[in-house]
Amino acid sequence: MPGDLISIFLNSVFAGNILLAYFLGMCSFVAVSKNINTAIGLGFAVVFVLSVTTPLNWLIYHYLLAPGALLWLGFPNLDLSFLKFIMFIAVIAAMVQAIEMVIDRFSAALYAGLGVFLPLIAVNCAILGVSLFMVERNYTFLESLIYGFGSGLGWMMAIISMAAIRIKLKYANPPYGLEGYGLTMIVTGLMAMAFMLFSGMTV
Amino acid sequence: MLKHIEIYLRSFFDKNRHHFVDGGKYKKLASIFEAVETIFFIPAIRTKNAPFVRDGLDLKRFMSIVLLALVPPLVFGIYNTGYHSLQAGGGNLTFFNVFLNGLMTVLPLIVVSYAVGFFWEILFSVIRKHPISEGFLVTGLLFPMTLPPTVPLWQVAVGISFGVVIGKEVFGGTGRNIFNPALTGRAFLFFAYPAKMSGGSVWVAIADTASSVVNAVTGATPLAMTALAPSFKNIETMLSSAGYTFLTLFVGNYPGSVGGTSALCCFLGAIILIVTGVASYRIIIGGVAGLLISSFLLSLFPSVSMNPWADINPLYHLVAGGFAFGIVYMATDPVSAPGTDRSKWVYGFCIGMLTVLIRVFNPAYPEGVMMAILFMNLFAPLFDFIAIRMRVSRRIPNV
Repeated sequence: MPGDLISIFLNSVFAGNILLAYFLGMCSFVAVSKNINTAIGLGFAVVFVLSVTTPLNWLIYHYLLAPGALLWLGFPNLDLSFLKFIMFIAVIAAMVQAIEMVIDRFSAALYAGLGVFLPLIAVNCAILGVSLFMVERNYTFLESLIYGFGSGLGWMMAIISMAAIRIKLKYANPPYGLEGYGLTMIVTGLMAMAFMLFSGMTV
Repeated sequence: MLKHIEIYLRSFFDKNRHHFVDGGKYKKLASIFEAVETIFFIPAIRTKNAPFVRDGLDLKRFMSIVLLALVPPLVFGIYNTGYHSLQAGGGNLTFFNVFLNGLMTVLPLIVVSYAVGFFWEILFSVIRKHPISEGFLVTGLLFPMTLPPTVPLWQVAVGISFGVVIGKEVFGGTGRNIFNPALTGRAFLFFAYPAKMSGGSVWVAIADTASSVVNAVTGATPLAMTALAPSFKNIETMLSSAGYTFLTLFVGNYPGSVGGTSALCCFLGAIILIVTGVASYRIIIGGVAGLLISSFLLSLFPSVSMNPWADINPLYHLVAGGFAFGIVYMATDPVSAPGTDRSKWVYGFCIGMLTVLIRVFNPAYPEGVMMAILFMNLFAPLFDFIAIRMRVSRRIPNV
């Protein structure tokens, strides 16, 4: 059992990296990686949101939405799983609102630096994607907690290393039309190729 | 005689220079003129403003030393390729014959790599008006040396094109890239055409002189061979029963990629590079330490499910496969490696550690060093950032 958890954790950080293997959460990854301090801040915010919303959504799915989940209320035949998208989004949005208030209260600089991308975590596809993968892969509660945390760490690792690479990219001299985002996308592709080193790894 | 040639060349370049300066007929081709001229003469332009260099160690000399250091593994690689192809094909095993045979396999790879790579290099330098860099001389030689000898020539062309264009030129040329261009091309080929880049049948080329078709025979590399036989108790006996003793692995006389088999030759190259100060000894020593320490730690936990490479004598990891070649020539690439001294230690150590982890835990890639270096290239800027920030935070503020 602990072996399974370790395997899920390592897989979500490296081989199944939510950003570099599934390409989810690209928009904020490309936009916020310009500055390394902001990237670290957003990385921590994503880790936090993912490790809270994934188990929370697990509870909601398995006790309210899944087929037969409302047995405890006396509805054994009810299947509300078609509501999972809107429910997951609502949970994520509420969590993001809470985090936004906390960051605004304790770190005005980070709040200003994250700008619009902090509320946009609510619609960050990585967050919803992790919740949906969690349902699809039939994780248990503990596994979904580990999976959410690991995916967040993987995303944070990718954005921080990208922010550091973009310090070096300031000295690049790309062809016309590839400046800025174009080159960033090419580097993201090369990063994904380097991350393929973990694909197929067995622990 | 030499003096006459020199005078003739000098006057030739001086006579034709006016075509290539502003207003000349071939202004667009100025970078090619400059590149050809600097093959023969040191540029006449003198630095007028600071910073002044203290030594004449320019890119050309730097890269020439790397090329010089690449000679031992290249010569041995040519011999090794020829030896195994003749041995498998049953030919005459005299030294001259072996060398000639190897040359016939290896030389086309190098020629294609240089020709296609220089085409892109010249195209970009003409259009983007940057000088042609000597850095490509190294990239174009390193790339074929990492390939199996049976690789089709068009794949060499595709791989070097990807490495030069996507790995380097989109960033603006030499010195600005993030990933090592030769390794980018190698990794691209590895993922795009896995059948020709790995497995048991790509490492020995039989040059059939009659039909001039290059056929392949089964010749598993030591790393791949042990992966084929799981749950083997004593891997050292197994290796030596297949003819791969420690000494064979160290000298490098076994089937493998063209230039990457011989730890001995890479060691010679490493001495040249370290003594001249071209390669960072920190990366090399850090990498060897990371490899030995992590493989020693892994050998303390023998487990049946693991690849037999987990509980082998750590020194075998050092001499088998392309680790020596990678850590000496690829990891020390000054552009894609970190620039601060401390992070070089960490960078090297992580490459060694990752190599062992891939060899042991990832059955998909018997050879780990290529991906390990590429992966650590990704984190090199972050290492630099952390090292600089640590240095800054220890500084006493100016009051």
